[in-house]
Amino acid sequence: MFDYQQLIDSLIKGEKEIVNNLVKQAVDEGLSAKDVLDNGLIAGMNVVGDKMEAGDMFIPEVLMAAQIMGEGVNFLKPLLRDDQSAAKGKVIIGTVKGDLHDIGKNLVAMMCEGSGLEVINLGVDIAPEQFADAAKENNADIVCLSALLTTTMPQMKKTIEAIKDNGLNNRVKVLIGGAPVTQAFADEIGADAFAADAGSAAKKANQLLSVSA
Amino acid sequence: MQPLDIETFKPRLKTLGKEQAWAIHSAALEILAKTGFKMEHPKVLEMLQGAGCTVENENWVTMPAYVAEEAIKSAPKQYALYDQQGNKTMPLTNDNFFYGTGSDTIFTHDLETRKRRRTVIKDTGNFARIVDALPNMDFSMSMGNPTDVPIENIYVHAFAEMIRNSNKPISFIADSGKDMKKIYDMACLVAGGEDEFQKKPFILNYSEVISPLKFPENVMEKLVFCAEKKIPICLPSGCNAGGGGPITLAGAMALGIAENLAGLVIHQLAGKGSPFLFAPNVSVLDMKHTVVSYGCTEWSLTQAALADMRDEIYQIPIWSFAGATDSKVIDAQAGAEGMLSIITSMLSRCNIIHDVGYIEFGNASSLEMLVMADELVGMSRFFTEGIPVNKETLALDIIERVAKGPEGSMFLSDPHTFEHFKTAHFLPELMDRARYESWEKKGKKDLAMRCNEKARRLLKEHKVIPKSKEVETGIDKILNTK
Ligand code: B12
Repeated sequence: MFDYQQLIDSLIKGEKEIVNNLVKQAVDEGLSAKDVLDNGLIAGMNVVGDKMEAGDMFIPEVLMAAQIMGEGVNFLKPLLRDDQSAAKGKVIIGTVKGDLHDIGKNLVAMMCEGSGLEVINLGVDIAPEQFADAAKENNADIVCLSALLTTTMPQMKKTIEAIKDNGLNNRVKVLIGGAPVTQAFADEIGADAFAADAGSAAKKANQLLSVSA
Repeated sequence: MQPLDIETFKPRLKTLGKEQAWAIHSAALEILAKTGFKMEHPKVLEMLQGAGCTVENENWVTMPAYVAEEAIKSAPKQYALYDQQGNKTMPLTNDNFFYGTGSDTIFTHDLETRKRRRTVIKDTGNFARIVDALPNMDFSMSMGNPTDVPIENIYVHAFAEMIRNSNKPISFIADSGKDMKKIYDMACLVAGGEDEFQKKPFILNYSEVISPLKFPENVMEKLVFCAEKKIPICLPSGCNAGGGGPITLAGAMALGIAENLAGLVIHQLAGKGSPFLFAPNVSVLDMKHTVVSYGCTEWSLTQAALADMRDEIYQIPIWSFAGATDSKVIDAQAGAEGMLSIITSMLSRCNIIHDVGYIEFGNASSLEMLVMADELVGMSRFFTEGIPVNKETLALDIIERVAKGPEGSMFLSDPHTFEHFKTAHFLPELMDRARYESWEKKGKKDLAMRCNEKARRLLKEHKVIPKSKEVETGIDKILNTK
């Protein structure tokens, strides 16, 4: 029997070669690509997420694991059935208009990817309509907004309004974050969720998906 | 004994060898010449092209080394900031160092409730007022992002509030050219007209470009405005090791310097000889919590190294940070981190040193931290003054007088002590050296509590010399214009 624990442990340790080999081996042994993805790679990244939150892992180690996972996903993608998707959901992310901070936002994007979501990163200084358009075009499940400045926080509210104006609010959830953002502010402007850091952002995004599923 | 005339050696920190300094400088020039940078301001793009830079793909600029070298040459090596009453309080010459607060924190710790809450405009006033009162603080910054003023005018209101609550120089933030104009108008009003302001400038601007190598349009607007109006400006880029820059300190410094040099070139093209502060702030991105640290040992190290590069290469006054912490409360960590950056920035002779009073890596501010840091600066200053060696301080006569004196003779009761005790030692106010019993009797207060009490007392008692009616109404008028 294939040992998922070994795959998970190697992923956490950032052992690229071993993970790649184990993914291939699992498929060779007849396990379905979906199974390897869910019980191997994503399960492993969930542990990574927990460890990161507990402060037991350094961020570069987390990102290393995420990159190795990405390679595994690329290998498994062509093997998935047509009705299966590699990603659990689609996320649009960007920093709001007038705000040029991007490191936190990029980190959230990577962590979401690492947790098995497809991420479309729009960049910085993104206007409300751009978010709404991108959500529509890409059939997104979640829109993630980042703001690091007090002066750009109002753009978050405007973006949520733009999403509503486009009739997307039933389908698209909004997750917000950034240094000045709080749960209270999220409630006030009608965002669906808030997260304080990248690890919990990925978790919240996944929770939002399971609620809507 | 011969009369002594010995110069007092002032302790100095050196962290970088000559070869290292030049290697980092060359690396910075190479980044500009080979990698280049993105310039989003069309007019500045033209200026750079005219000066010998090459533009590709619309706005990607590469800059030959000589262009940067010329700007280094034309930037003033010495200049001064004045206080709001026209006294030259911050001469940026001769290894001088000046400490002040930081800008834009989101939360502050309330002195009364001692709880963390969002900042309001009164907090900006309170910080400015306490800076005005403290002997070791030289300039103010907003210290808060007030939630009770119109958000599109936040920086103009913060500036007005600092004017109302202090007479020390101000380092200000502006969102755009429009903010800048209003703030400049207010400053001229305080100085008594533009001519007077030009003679005795009391403000400096803090703006940031974006690591890696991005120069946004609105920031360039501010840079050009300052160059034209001769308002000193610093232009760090958030080139933190592992965040905006590479994980290794030398590379992060090279990138930060490259960004600063590009800024300096634009600045000198827009206003040759206008005052600039060299400021590649290089802290680290914490590898566990992904915050940019304000208490780490690395930032103290890179800015000390940068001071060495100023001595070796640039000669231009430098901007730096100290007296801040990553701690969430005023505790041992806050004291240790605050002191590390204060003493090293001073020993390496950084020139304008901001962020005093930051806690929680700049997310929050604390009046207690500010008051504590004031005393830490005092301690460090005493240390940095060195040990004067002369007839009076060697005190051989006094040693003989006491040693050979009648029973009961002691130094403590000697006239030499009476004359010198106030200057021969640093006399702490907040650092507690009481015997256990008296400390207990006074309520067993820890340092944070003592700082809290001092801050409250200063807020109550310190009188700021008021501005004239004319200035006050003028400021209100500017605030109310669209
Ligand atoms: C680096 C930095 C910069 C760099 C950014 C470079 C870059 N490429 O991003 C530069 C130098 C360009 C910069 C510029 C400015 N900055 Co700045 N900057 C910082 C600094 C030091 C660190 C930010 C950072 O990168 N942190 C590391 C990342 C990993 O963390 P993070 O961004 O907080 O993101 C995490 C969480 O917030 C969360 N998160 C973030 N986004 C999202 C999104 C979602 C959906 C979720 C769920 C979670 C989430 O998860 C992330 C990862 O864990 C902070 C202070 C600090 N110590 O935090 C100030 C700070 C954010 N900046 C500040 C200011 C004022 C400015 C300027 C206005 C300064 C000026 N005078 O020009 C300009 C504005 C430029 C603009 N228009 O945007 C203030 C903001 C205060 C406020 N609330 O208004 C701060 C707090 C510093 C301060 N106290 O003064 N800055």
